[in-house]
Amino acid sequence: MAEEKKKGFSFTSREKNEFIWGWLFILPTIIGLVVLNIIPIINTIYQSFFKTGDFGRGNIFVGLQNYQKVFADKEIWQALLNTVRYAIVEVPFSIAISLVLAVLLNKKIKGRSVYRTIIFLPMVAAPAAIAMVWRWLYNSDFGLLNHIFHSKINWVSSPSIAVYSIAVIGIWSILGYNMVLFLAGLQEIPGDYYEAAEIDGATGISSFFNITLPLLSPTIFFVLVTRVIASLQVFDLIYMVIDNTNPALGKTQSLVYLFYRYSFVNKNIGYGSTIVVVLLLLTLLVTVLQMIGQKKWVYYN
Amino acid sequence: MKKRSLAVSVVMGLMALGLVACGGSKSSSSESTASGSGEQGASSDELSVAIWDTNQEPGLKEILDDFTKETGIKTKISVVKWNEYWTMLEAGAQGGSLPDVFWMHSNESERYMSNDMLLDLTDKIKASDKIKVENYPGDIWGLYTYNDHYYAVPKDVDTIAIWYNKKLFDEAGVPYPTSDWTWDDLTETARKLTKSDGSQYGLAVKMDNNQAGYYNLIYDKGGYVISDDKKKSGWDDPKTIEGMNILDTWIKEGLMPSAETMSENGEEVLFQSGKVAMVPQGSWMIASYKANEYTAQNADIVELPKDAKTGKRVSLYNGLGWAAAKNGKHTEEAWKLIEYLGSEPAQKKQAELGVTMSAYKGTSDAWVKSANFNLQAYLNMMDDMVIRPYSRSTVSWENADNEIITKVYTGELTMEEACKQMAEQMNEKLAEEQK
Repeated sequence: MAEEKKKGFSFTSREKNEFIWGWLFILPTIIGLVVLNIIPIINTIYQSFFKTGDFGRGNIFVGLQNYQKVFADKEIWQALLNTVRYAIVEVPFSIAISLVLAVLLNKKIKGRSVYRTIIFLPMVAAPAAIAMVWRWLYNSDFGLLNHIFHSKINWVSSPSIAVYSIAVIGIWSILGYNMVLFLAGLQEIPGDYYEAAEIDGATGISSFFNITLPLLSPTIFFVLVTRVIASLQVFDLIYMVIDNTNPALGKTQSLVYLFYRYSFVNKNIGYGSTIVVVLLLLTLLVTVLQMIGQKKWVYYN
Repeated sequence: MKKRSLAVSVVMGLMALGLVACGGSKSSSSESTASGSGEQGASSDELSVAIWDTNQEPGLKEILDDFTKETGIKTKISVVKWNEYWTMLEAGAQGGSLPDVFWMHSNESERYMSNDMLLDLTDKIKASDKIKVENYPGDIWGLYTYNDHYYAVPKDVDTIAIWYNKKLFDEAGVPYPTSDWTWDDLTETARKLTKSDGSQYGLAVKMDNNQAGYYNLIYDKGGYVISDDKKKSGWDDPKTIEGMNILDTWIKEGLMPSAETMSENGEEVLFQSGKVAMVPQGSWMIASYKANEYTAQNADIVELPKDAKTGKRVSLYNGLGWAAAKNGKHTEEAWKLIEYLGSEPAQKKQAELGVTMSAYKGTSDAWVKSANFNLQAYLNMMDDMVIRPYSRSTVSWENADNEIITKVYTGELTMEEACKQMAEQMNEKLAEEQK
């Protein structure tokens, strides 16, 4: 102690204690982040400059060649378009529907927690199981949907609609999660605002737009940004529902799907890494734009 | 307020990064302990065994149990579906944690052998009194030999034949096919069995069914898919295109379900639900058709048709091998297991149980009796066989082929255009291999 003071450290014993304990507490998280996220990220970026050999051996440095190929690849642009199509459907609908559900289930109605549980249930089911069930619902020959509607629609194998069919699954499975976040946000809004509005003669709808929406906007913003990121990363639904001989594959495969195919099926890890780095940059760009845009519509107080 | 939006951006930044970090953690696998010890999780004295075919699991488990009884070495088998199997193996190879014993396939064997991932079995085979090279088909050894070293012991062989639905034939009043039929006969039969309302089709050959499907047409016509030196694609050979034009007829005349239907359901499901009357399938499918009540009752097998002009009746064939990890912890035990699985008694049992045809010569008679179908048809197809086309990057060009040919099914390309495109992309990839 005395020595430390001499050297000019101004830590009191309490501060030192807090310092050590503080780091100790976040250490598990930091280790997790470094091992599971940071190192793989650096590795991925590194690999994107290589023509990778089998089993990670014999990598050849190719500079920006992979990037040139990615930007010249029509398949990649199509996949980007597919991904955007998916996001454009999934994000707004999942937010709008779950917002309405949250507002309805925030009122004191009978069996409220039962409804909440039911709507949250898809979130508990494994994505693979969800995909399998929907795959059968959508099946054009034996599926329930076509059976009920007496139609013969190729829900998941017609190139023009398959991506939207998949987005519907996405919406359905994320509703409950969004709803829970919105419920939490709704419960932070003080009840007096509504009472005051009621006295001033506001209807339920106008208080929804003038009180609920603005005061919920931080939560909406959070859900929006996380959903956009998640939907740009859509993979498992496509992988499970769309067979690799499906004629609609070209018009449904997302960037992450392509990443999977190049990295794990065709064993071209360098090219796969490049795709995913491009997606990372794109995601960051979209997110930054949203952060800037939030100033226009998000109220933090 | 500032703090909150900062926290939000940190969370979101991490989410975005999380993607880049995501590896291949998706593998739907079912694991079970074969030794009956009931323990979950591979304990250090258990040999891990990996395969991809659920249909073969029960039979193989019995054989593994016999092995445990004989040697006291416990095994643990896990079944991972084909696509995930190779992802798992790739990751295992790279990370030094391959299963102890696993199936190898001609699509991938060269990559694993040339990168020294597999246990070299050459000396062990030489010293073994159970494994004699001459007892197994030479071509299958060929798939698992690199620089004159053996890296796997043949597990099985497979050939192709046509499955047909007797019930649908009876209903249409069409006589059952016989072994002397031609491809023209098959087309004619398919026409008779196709109903115009789309409730029933003559046959189904899925877009990616090359080995059991259209490859056979190509070789019957004298065409080829890959040259012997693995440097040139045969897709643009006129004879190859001639063979593929038979498939084109089936597509154009609507004798097969649409590409959409086949991609959603698969030939197996369509056949087992009585939607298609005929389907070419490999001998490895027996277990599945035997287990299905409908096909067990209504289906039977006939040899592939001959080509009327060339008189040829070729069956593509292939065979899996049992391989072991080079850097495994139990290579001695792993070899013992492979030796056992390749030995005559185990190979015979595999045939008797109807798991698959066995690679060991002279075990086929036992296999013919393993199910109530005309399995002899598969044996008869062994008279003229061509090994499944392969090279170092088989997977890569095969997948691209499948994508292109799907466009013929959907009418976006003519067969000739597709064949030219397939040749082009394949030649590109083969040239890449030579580098």
